[in-house]
Amino acid sequence: MRLPLRGRIAIVTASAGLVLALLLPAASATAADPLILRTGSTQTVSGLNPWQVVYVVDFEIMTLNYDTLVGFGPNVDPVPGFAESWTKSADGHTWTFKIRPGMKWSDGQPATSEDARWTIQYVLDAVKKGQTLGAGYLEPYLTAAGVTAVSAPDPQTLVVTTNLNNPLLLQSYVPILPAHIWSKIDPKVAATTYPNNAPVVGTGPYQVVEYKPGQFVRLQRNPYYWGQQGAEDQIVITTFKNDDTMVQALKTGELDYARDVPATQFDQLKSAGGPITAVEGVSNTFYELAFNCYNKPIPGGGASTLAVQDPAFRDALGYAIDKQDIVNKVFQGHAQVGSTQVTPFQAGWHVEPTDVRPFDIEMAKSKLDAAGYPLNASGQRLDKQQKPIVLRLSWPGDPSEAKAAQLIVAWFGQLGIKVNATASDEAKLGQQILPPEAGGKAQFDMFIWDWVGDPDPTSLLKVLTTKEIGASSDSLWSNADYDALYNKQLAETDDAARHQEVGQMQQLFYDQAPYHILYYPSQLDAYRTDHFGGWRNQPTANGTPLFQFGSFNYTYLTNAQAAVASPSASAPSASSAPSAEASQAVVSTPAPVASQAPAPGDTTSSNSSPLLLLGGLALVVIAVVGILVIRRGRASAEEE
Amino acid sequence: MSGRYLLAKIGQAIITIGLLIVLNFVLFRMMPGSPDRVLGRNPNVTAEAIQATRERWGLDKPVIPDQLVAYVASIAQGDLGYSFVYRGASVADVLADRIWPTVILFGLGELIAIVVGVSLGAYTGWRRGGPIDHIGNGASLILYATPYFLIGMVLLLVFAVGLGWFPTYGMTTVGEVYSSPVNQLADYLSHLALPLATVALGLIGQYSIVMRSSIVDTLGEEYITTAKAKGIQDVSVLRQHALPNAMLPMATLIAINLGYVIAGAITVEVVFNWPGLGTLTVDALAARDYPVLQGIFLLLSVSVVFANLIADVMYQFLDPRVKA
Amino acid sequence: MTTPAIASPGVAVSRPRGRLSRAWAVLRQVLRRRSGAIGIAILVFFTFVALFPDLLVGPLETAVTATGPSMAPPQPGYPFGTDELGRSILNLTVHGARISMIIGLLATIVTVLFGVVIGIVSGFVGGRTDAVLMRITDFFLVIPTFVLALILAPVISELFGTEGEILGVRITLLVIVVVIGITSWSSTARIIRSQTLSLKERAFVDRARVIGASPMHMMSRHILINVTDLIVANTVLVFAGAVLTETTLAFIGLGDPFAPSWGQILNSAQEAGAPGLGAWWYMAPPGASIVLVVLAFTLVGNVLDEILNPRLRGRQ
Repeated sequence: MRLPLRGRIAIVTASAGLVLALLLPAASATAADPLILRTGSTQTVSGLNPWQVVYVVDFEIMTLNYDTLVGFGPNVDPVPGFAESWTKSADGHTWTFKIRPGMKWSDGQPATSEDARWTIQYVLDAVKKGQTLGAGYLEPYLTAAGVTAVSAPDPQTLVVTTNLNNPLLLQSYVPILPAHIWSKIDPKVAATTYPNNAPVVGTGPYQVVEYKPGQFVRLQRNPYYWGQQGAEDQIVITTFKNDDTMVQALKTGELDYARDVPATQFDQLKSAGGPITAVEGVSNTFYELAFNCYNKPIPGGGASTLAVQDPAFRDALGYAIDKQDIVNKVFQGHAQVGSTQVTPFQAGWHVEPTDVRPFDIEMAKSKLDAAGYPLNASGQRLDKQQKPIVLRLSWPGDPSEAKAAQLIVAWFGQLGIKVNATASDEAKLGQQILPPEAGGKAQFDMFIWDWVGDPDPTSLLKVLTTKEIGASSDSLWSNADYDALYNKQLAETDDAARHQEVGQMQQLFYDQAPYHILYYPSQLDAYRTDHFGGWRNQPTANGTPLFQFGSFNYTYLTNAQAAVASPSASAPSASSAPSAEASQAVVSTPAPVASQAPAPGDTTSSNSSPLLLLGGLALVVIAVVGILVIRRGRASAEEE
Repeated sequence: MSGRYLLAKIGQAIITIGLLIVLNFVLFRMMPGSPDRVLGRNPNVTAEAIQATRERWGLDKPVIPDQLVAYVASIAQGDLGYSFVYRGASVADVLADRIWPTVILFGLGELIAIVVGVSLGAYTGWRRGGPIDHIGNGASLILYATPYFLIGMVLLLVFAVGLGWFPTYGMTTVGEVYSSPVNQLADYLSHLALPLATVALGLIGQYSIVMRSSIVDTLGEEYITTAKAKGIQDVSVLRQHALPNAMLPMATLIAINLGYVIAGAITVEVVFNWPGLGTLTVDALAARDYPVLQGIFLLLSVSVVFANLIADVMYQFLDPRVKA
Repeated sequence: MTTPAIASPGVAVSRPRGRLSRAWAVLRQVLRRRSGAIGIAILVFFTFVALFPDLLVGPLETAVTATGPSMAPPQPGYPFGTDELGRSILNLTVHGARISMIIGLLATIVTVLFGVVIGIVSGFVGGRTDAVLMRITDFFLVIPTFVLALILAPVISELFGTEGEILGVRITLLVIVVVIGITSWSSTARIIRSQTLSLKERAFVDRARVIGASPMHMMSRHILINVTDLIVANTVLVFAGAVLTETTLAFIGLGDPFAPSWGQILNSAQEAGAPGLGAWWYMAPPGASIVLVVLAFTLVGNVLDEILNPRLRGRQ
């Protein structure tokens, strides 16, 4: 029999090839073992180009690579970053920043105000031309601050001119980029397809030296960092496909920090104690039940009933939502009951509304009756056009949203309102809710989704304004009073007055209810204390250590397993100094941790095409062996 | 004769690939939802920003014919496009990165499954009715009926979480710096063990069952009886006469199986966080990363078409009985 | 061993009562084999469970009606433990039986319908039609069907809309049915076609053609009847495959949390972190049910194949 022999040879060759393949990707680096901090999340990194940041993990990498002009302190307060101090002119339209002398980029080049000027000018140029930079998340920080011009009179001084008088410039999450590298890149490419491959050059505490898309990112200590040096030599941020595996890895010690631990696992970790600390941070996110408040008819689309446009209708429904029950059942209590569009994280700004709606089905029913939505003979709630009200409910796929939806279906059902609930996904739902201003038909009644905030409440207040319909507004709500208040607080110079205006906006929002804010889910993280110590929360009282704002918390970490402290840095770091003018904590010697081996492996691009071809060929070979024998089989089978 | 046959087959393969490319494009564009809507929830995004994104990705042009033509043209030039999710990375790079882990996992899995499955099936078929047959066949049936991911979850629970013998995720211990290639190999192997076991077990279930029934069929054939009558030893009969012929229907299964194997690939990789094409597919789907999805789809289907073609051609030389 | 009713395949049998008694005869043969008996027993059990879930455990528990502790192991009152919402796993698994079986049944019907029609037409008509249909079939065999299924699901749910029900079955479930149907019919078509091809040459078909019977008549009266055996055996195996496919699709996340099939329960378990928490009770009942049902179908299908398939007859 010829074939079996051939088959056997093929199998042997193939397996030999595969064993070789196992060894192929092996790098041969040998080195003294660096101390590695391993963190994990379930978000996929978008890339290394800072203009393409979208997710929290992207922002985290950006803030490790680069400094922002002003840093974020322990309570998200402005502290020295790229700039060591700043002053504001009396009219609030001119900011003068003092850039720290002697700063170096991680490639050794000097870092001066010219770099900051270049970066900000790059943004201004794009904004002037009406272009967006990359994913569009960063330049709004400068436009919200009203930046109009920037100049660098000397290497240590930066002057920024604004047309608004607000403190938002100090919170702008824009990375200061090395002009000597970025100015050489075509401006159109820089924010779009420029990969910013490793090794990244920045002034932050750690820079990316290895990146495997969809898998992990490895950062290495910046030997020239101006601030305190953390104990870890490297940081590895891994992407996990599901959070269960991530928690497993934390438990076995393969991971030091896990972001977004599921609520069910959280309790178990917390009670187990030991080397794992489970921390519940205050939320900067709200999840809402949104209504289609678009007040003009849309041919072939729009809401299924005019009822959802009626604030009285929405208000009545609010009495049929047991928010505490959702918090208990869906989050095991690890969330706060929702109220306004200002999150608990934005602590100073959050104002609880007066007359919070209790959960009372009977009251909901009577309010519906009073508002002109009676029940018919078969127990269905009718709208003002005498049609039974049937509402569509959708959500982008988060399981907690699905569970909340189940509860809402049941509660509204008791009111005689049928709710058709279906899971969707971000892309589909995002498309579905587009209003005519964005080329869509707004075919929805209700959905559950979330918003994530900044330290300042402006961004979340904005999504409910009329101007944002067609852009970020998804409730399509339009209220002239709300718009007026928004514009007022944006230009407000008096802090107390601004607080009052923001408070009024929250009350108005709560009464009109374009959204019912369901819950603020706590940030559940967990980390090990047997590898690293020195963990600090941000905000100090009720935050989590990592994945917040800025990267100073990485620099406070100590090696829990070594008696000897980490290299360098004794001086207290920047964060304890108030904004005005700290004299800077300076790292004692910029001596790098010299015994570092060069990071093993390189990034993806170099050998990809032949590798791809080889991989494809291997697949083909395996398939051939099988199919070759099919033909044999088919021929003999047909003979029988 | 064979030259013309060869040309005809190549022609068919090219047409099939052409159809595949068009189908590839149309299919993914039919998916509802647009990638520019997956940009997370950005309260700062402006209408202009979204429009600019759409323009940059060519999404504002009509799907047919503009986008389709552009797609086919770029494929012809060997350009698979750029990923929407991994900004700036070319699809070829993204795929190249992920193809090896899948090939290793499934190649080795298939190999082990073929060897073990065939042996197990042959032996239980040979010793039909005996206790070994019952146990072996029963175990195979249960494995066959169990979805791959369930096997994976059980193994994970017992061996990684419960006993702690194996790591729980990934292909390597991320961030590790190895002191020697042997250490690195050991690390790879310890990560490979459970996913490989999952794949192998799943396939063994199928292969041993088919092999067994195939052997049972073959054993009834006349030439086996003849061989036995001639006095040839039992084992020789098995190895030289029964086995080769019994292999054939089983071999049919291997190829038809490719479809199910891919389903298994995706779920097993998800369970173990194995960085291969499977996890890439699931992620790309959620993010509507059309270029990457199209790349994967194309890669998989073209491989099968090529394999068919090569097999057809080689078959010409191997078996003179087969005519076009 | 063989009764006259199961005659050589050359005779076109068309006695209705004979059909039924033949079915019973086959069933008895299945039960006589141990594997067949086990399979039938399991199927009867699960069919009963699927038909009367309310009788056994009451209505499907929802997030609102759940009363149990969260993620609790088996205990008095909750024999299979609870999930993270406090619902009894026993309740979920029993109701899941109905949903999994319905999806499996409908998907099988779609698959077999498609496969048989295309297989018979293609094999019988031959020529250009056959070439085209086989081209299409081969095409579907080449495509990675699971990836196809993942893509088709959102596309089809766009077509169907997402709300409402048809005959009491939620649209979301029907979408899965259609997707499985579209991706599974090709192997059935191939099998039926090759049997049709061999049947075509038999004498009785020639006789019918000479008499002047129309192709439709010949296909439905003569071919179809003789392919029935093959269809039956194949259908049972297709059912097994459909349940497996649905489970896998649900695990990936295409299921419907409001109508949880076993696969969907496993998906919820994974999402809730059950493996990591050691909550084996969340995964074991739906997992074991899937294995048992698929196993049962496979056993019965194999036995039917043995009994009905002419090639193996005479080999005991």
